[in-house]
Amino acid sequence: MLLETKGLTKRFGELTAVDEVNLQIQEGDSLSVIGPNGAGKSTTVNLITGLLNPTEGKVLYRGEDITGQEPHEIVQQGLSKSFQTASIFPDLTVERNAVVASLGAEHGSFSLNFLRRLGNYDDVLERAEQTMRDMGLYEQRHVEAKSLPYGDKRRLEMALALASDPDLLFLDEPTAGMSPDETDDTVDLIERIKEERGVTIVLIEHDMEIIFRVSDRIAVLNRGAKIADGTPDEIQGDPDVQEAYLGGVEI
Amino acid sequence: MSEQTEAATPGESADASGLLDRWDGLRERESFSIAGAIAFVVVFPMIFTNLPAYNGYMSLVELIYIWAIFAIGFDLLLGYTGLLSFGHAVFWGGSAYAAGLFSANVSGEPLLIVLVAMVTAIVLALIIGILSLRRGGIYFAILTLAFGQMMYFIALGPLGGITGGEDGFTGVTVDPLLGALELGTGFAGVLGTLLHDIGYVLFAGFFVLAVAAAVRIVRSPYGAIFQAIAENEQRVRFLGLNVWRYKLAAFVISGAFAGVAGGLHTIHAQYVAVGSLFWITSGDIVIITVLGGIGSIFGPVTGTIAFLYVENIVSGEIAFWLLVLGALFVTVVWLFPAGIWGIVTGIRSTVREQLLGDDS
Repeated sequence: MLLETKGLTKRFGELTAVDEVNLQIQEGDSLSVIGPNGAGKSTTVNLITGLLNPTEGKVLYRGEDITGQEPHEIVQQGLSKSFQTASIFPDLTVERNAVVASLGAEHGSFSLNFLRRLGNYDDVLERAEQTMRDMGLYEQRHVEAKSLPYGDKRRLEMALALASDPDLLFLDEPTAGMSPDETDDTVDLIERIKEERGVTIVLIEHDMEIIFRVSDRIAVLNRGAKIADGTPDEIQGDPDVQEAYLGGVEI
Repeated sequence: MSEQTEAATPGESADASGLLDRWDGLRERESFSIAGAIAFVVVFPMIFTNLPAYNGYMSLVELIYIWAIFAIGFDLLLGYTGLLSFGHAVFWGGSAYAAGLFSANVSGEPLLIVLVAMVTAIVLALIIGILSLRRGGIYFAILTLAFGQMMYFIALGPLGGITGGEDGFTGVTVDPLLGALELGTGFAGVLGTLLHDIGYVLFAGFFVLAVAAAVRIVRSPYGAIFQAIAENEQRVRFLGLNVWRYKLAAFVISGAFAGVAGGLHTIHAQYVAVGSLFWITSGDIVIITVLGGIGSIFGPVTGTIAFLYVENIVSGEIAFWLLVLGALFVTVVWLFPAGIWGIVTGIRSTVREQLLGDDS
């Protein structure tokens, strides 16, 4: 078991945003988390990746309890997250963005190397270059990240998450706000990442077409609680899921 | 746009080595910066002492180097890491007192005095950093201000017996450098024209060292991580980097620069004023850095020159010199948010664009 949550719960005052969610993710078995707006999808991911601390419940990564650890500690263990809005370093060049990400991957969470030249770290620079090439951003390496087109910004965002060669990658609505062409490219990219890097992906998405293309399993959340969990075929026929969506989305 | 295509074409042919070539280029510029600093300390006094209304005393030039070290370190925190400390007087004043007490009671060797001052500042920065960095933004600024003022009142009151209280610390005794070189000893001939005396070599030498250290830090992994933290702290955290420790490192490094400067100031002034711990000193260093231009190494140096010129020279000519300083600050920040140094780099890149435009 790569990742498991046990009774994961988050309350904000009276509101229970995530209600005793149990998820199981096997290595290589990509999962999509779906559900109507406000179902607690993003909150669940934030609880797993350490941005929020759960009120109750546990997160186990490879059998080890990582509940309540800091995000950087969790990332160092092989979990990575791509944000819903392109969370990049806008005033730095694409190359510099990739270099910072590679530093996190090559150096651990902290190093006392403030008098060593960055230019001497061949491993870091190679990793940065490889990441940029993989994501098709190498040509734009001298461009400031803020001047990239929207689709490229999202790709850079994903590149930052991938630079650390994670075993498990959380993608929070990776195609939100994209044109149909950009969406298509992104889905191709996700499939490629899955295949070439062997990354297990947890996808939060609304678009059913993408979900069925990418995921091996689907978990459905509604009002913070998990109401269904299974293969795409099982989920399609599930009456609870139909009910939750009330025909809002055809599945 | 034309600049980008220009840059992309040679990189294409260089292929894999393109990245490394780029860093090699940066490395060359590192030694360039240090050579520039050395040239600066030789040429600067010749120009500066001939400015209008200048009385020709070298002391102010040395004072500029000392404050510039303080400002360079402060900018590593403010300009690079994006953290505004309003209590840096603690490190400047605290180390100055440590230097003074050490010189009076243990040894008057200038290099040891500076070392003690730096270590004091590092210890203070560790403690205050750990306590203040738990909060961000305005709360961090206020916390550092509060710690600064606490130290000021401690030096004034409870520790008055040691620090000299309101009168400041007057027992500073500075020995010759390395036991032999009296700081006042002048050089003869050409060396005298270029480097003046031993004291000048000491202060200018530390200034060059500070520039070299700062350039190296900016081009180390820390430089990249500091800038990334300033831009998007949460993203850095999710790249697996311990943001809190890097911020503390920036704070301590910045404190170390202030400590060296504070120690040198004690040697220079042969006296420690209690005002060195007062919040106005913290404010001065913010103004100096912003005036010169944050996020660069030579920006704070430029700011120091402008500030000390107005404070020491203009003040002799115009009674309302603070008004002049205020007007200068407002004008620069309003018209040139990147500071005085930003004007210089702005002109430089305009010229470059012009040249590139003519080429293609």
